Amino acid sequence: MTELFTLKHNPLVDPAMHIWAWQIPVYLFLGGLVAGLMILSGYHIIRDRYDTDRPHGHYVTAPMLSVALLSLGMLALFFDLEHKIEVWRLYMTFEVTSPMSWGSWILLLVYPVLIASALLNFQEAQPRLAARYPTVAGVAEAMRSRPGVASLIGFANIALGAGLGIYTGILLSSLAARPLWSSALLGPLFLFSGLSTGAATLHMLTHIEKGEDNSYGDFLVASMVGWIRPKHGEHEGAVKLAHADNGFLTIELSILMLFLINLSGSSAAGHDAAALLLTGPYAAVFWVFVVGSGLVIPLILQGLQAANRIRPTMIPALLVLVGGLVLRFVLVYAGQASHWPRIAGF
Amino acid sequence: MNSAPETHPPKPYWNPYVAGFLLGLVLLASFVVMGRGLGASGAFGSVTAVAMHAVAPAHVQNNPFYSEYFGDGSSNPLKDWLVFEVLGVCVGGLISGALANRISVKIEKGPHVSNGWRLVGAFVGGAMMMIGAKLALGCTSGQALTGGAVLNLGSWAFMICVFAGAYALAYFFRRQWL
Amino acid sequence: MIAPFFKFGMFGTEASLVVAFVIGIGFGFMLERAGFGNARKLAAQFYFQDLRVLKVMFMAIITAMVGLYALSRVGFLDLSKVYLVPTLLVPDIVGGLLLGMGFVIGGYCPGTSCVSASTGRVDGMVYVAGMFAGLVGFGEVYPKIKSFATMTPMGHLTIAKYFDIPYGLLVFAVVVMALGAFVAAEWAERKFGDGSAGMTGGLLESTRRLTPVRILALGLLVLGLFALVGGDPYRGNTVSIDPRALALSAGRGVVKVSPGDLADSIVKGTEEFRIIDLRPAAAYATYHIPTAENIPLAALAPDSVSSDDKVVLYSDSDMQAAQAWFILRASGDRAAYILAGGLDAWKDQVLYPVRPAKPTGLEAAAFEKRAAVSRYLGGTPRAAGASSAQPVEPAPALITPVAPPSAPDMARPKKRAAREGC
Repeated sequence: MTELFTLKHNPLVDPAMHIWAWQIPVYLFLGGLVAGLMILSGYHIIRDRYDTDRPHGHYVTAPMLSVALLSLGMLALFFDLEHKIEVWRLYMTFEVTSPMSWGSWILLLVYPVLIASALLNFQEAQPRLAARYPTVAGVAEAMRSRPGVASLIGFANIALGAGLGIYTGILLSSLAARPLWSSALLGPLFLFSGLSTGAATLHMLTHIEKGEDNSYGDFLVASMVGWIRPKHGEHEGAVKLAHADNGFLTIELSILMLFLINLSGSSAAGHDAAALLLTGPYAAVFWVFVVGSGLVIPLILQGLQAANRIRPTMIPALLVLVGGLVLRFVLVYAGQASHWPRIAGF
Repeated sequence: MNSAPETHPPKPYWNPYVAGFLLGLVLLASFVVMGRGLGASGAFGSVTAVAMHAVAPAHVQNNPFYSEYFGDGSSNPLKDWLVFEVLGVCVGGLISGALANRISVKIEKGPHVSNGWRLVGAFVGGAMMMIGAKLALGCTSGQALTGGAVLNLGSWAFMICVFAGAYALAYFFRRQWL
Repeated sequence: MIAPFFKFGMFGTEASLVVAFVIGIGFGFMLERAGFGNARKLAAQFYFQDLRVLKVMFMAIITAMVGLYALSRVGFLDLSKVYLVPTLLVPDIVGGLLLGMGFVIGGYCPGTSCVSASTGRVDGMVYVAGMFAGLVGFGEVYPKIKSFATMTPMGHLTIAKYFDIPYGLLVFAVVVMALGAFVAAEWAERKFGDGSAGMTGGLLESTRRLTPVRILALGLLVLGLFALVGGDPYRGNTVSIDPRALALSAGRGVVKVSPGDLADSIVKGTEEFRIIDLRPAAAYATYHIPTAENIPLAALAPDSVSSDDKVVLYSDSDMQAAQAWFILRASGDRAAYILAGGLDAWKDQVLYPVRPAKPTGLEAAAFEKRAAVSRYLGGTPRAAGASSAQPVEPAPALITPVAPPSAPDMARPKKRAAREGC
């Protein structure tokens, strides 16, 4: 990746091979998702800093899930690195102009903030665990009793989340050798895609519940029933998340359209790059998975859910997650296939 | 479900004639736009061939059944008309189910059969169905429905045999459904 | 005639996948609405309790059938460009029986199981898993049962053509038969069912009103009557030739297949090409390229070759093959190739290849390969020297060589045909 990075900063160097395989899109997807989750939980933490009575179902799960997903994404990234042992060097310096440097430092700060967020609601959300580990519970209690600390953690969540989300997009757009990626809109696009997938994940968390209902007899069926219906008492939260997710999806769709229109009208190379997605070899996957089942269909279904017209299920959330993942894949693969016209003499 | 009030009961199914008529229009649209009908089983073949290729590439290349899904190797077998159509079928069913509040995790069966036996039946039935579909170059969608509408000779022979086979065995499986 | 849009090149393969997704959504939506995501609703068909399967299926069939008929009669759609699954009578019958049994045991068919699984039914998901297991099993035994699976091929054949009945009459008969079946089904539902199905919204509903369902049935009957007097929808098949496109592909030379490539393809048994011998039957009987079939030039009609086949045409020389190529291309865009140099080149280069006089290592290796192919196809490689002068010593007279060991049989339908179906 290092060599790719240095090479692709130079628009005259045009390696025509596909260097990035599945690792980078997966990393970008998981990074964006965690960014979205962080911004949403930051908002929740600040909103509820004085209020300890709200249901806290996912307040601990979401940050811990973020830790797990982000580590998974980092693992994917690590697989992609050429010089695995040299990773520590990224942390020996800070380059203001390099998104890579920004990203690696943001990633380093994300972990403590996530753990602090999980601790903040430890007592209320996991009373049984809290009873078993009184020391941890004591720390959590001390944090919870100071709204200022809660606010600080909330703001840190939002700031780092936004940074992480934008960074996943900027990482691509800094590689100027690829016309598809040379757009400032990639940052916001990935940020809002991250927000929508984050909201979808939260939405799914509100649905997941242990199979207590044994009327179906089988454990498997009972636990799957638990996944598909909203948890008792969190219906209101699910509706709010559906609303929020629809907002993010709408913005994402608009940015995506702007991005492609902007690209089509920019230059011949940009036009060709946009055509890769709109009519070219990535068109079927783009229109079907990203636009169709990833944005438009969930928008309609979640709209109807939010309006209480149909029974809420986690189906739209699932479609949003798939759509977000495919968006990263399509952009990374198509981006590598796009190139500037070759210049005579090179 | 934790005694949560069911505010959205499932809606009744459509009148079969109306559903059939609209399904016929979808089929007609497929003929007009693509020059081909609907299908389903072929997509599963593509997915299986790709999965087998990932596990045992040499084996797949030597097997004429799998290798024909790869053709000359210039195109991805998953970028196939039927694969995308079947994805659409899943999403279409999902949309319809969501709009009618019919999405729920359960096992459809008669009251006199256990969940386990029903699932064994589903698995065995699925395997038999696919073997039959591969022999006949199509299933109820690709042969009976599509071929039926264009008066294809083999499709009508196939369709008659589907009903014959099902009615012949129906008596022995009545406990599963009734 | 502008439809089928795809076959007239209105959009490309990539866009066709998006179309596939949209059509699939319509298909899945209607299946779910019909109640086909529910195995009990489907299986009720086989106990005469709720004959939904029959009603939905035949309603869809006759709707699409009369629609196709009407659209082709008014000249909007070219029915000959609509794909027909090739008929293989015995496999169709055996496959149908197996599939029917699987239906009543498992409760679904492939399309409905997708809908069932995606709406959360566990039995549908297990059924899908069973289908994959069945596919793997079929794939493993396929080489052993291939001869059975490809027996009794009858090609792309409609009932009207096989029994020599007017197409329109058949359309009308099927409509009448389907409406009769609906009435019988409703009668059966009253007799055997628990009274929940078919009482309302049916054709036999106890009201004198013209219900929407009755109007629908009446409309289809009227269209069927129109078909009865309307004639053959396959008539009026116009041909559009794009001379520039033809000239371009001819000029680029992409329409030729070299004898060596063709021989390799035969030896490998890829069945990539459908080979057509354009010479008279007597010449064909004396010798023909293995797996080739005989369609003399005079008998070549556009519909004797499916538009899905990759065709290689040959005769003694290039001339007749080029004429045949033009005939085929003029009837639509299809993959047709000419064997470069015709049968003469086949003899010289494939059957009786000549060893180079002083071969380099590479040349010798290449010749050994050619010689092996030649022996496989029943020819004999020739020694050096004979070829140094032009014209070459005439190749030995051609006689039908012994059939090569496991030469692929020509009757098997082409792979692409199987893929376009279900």
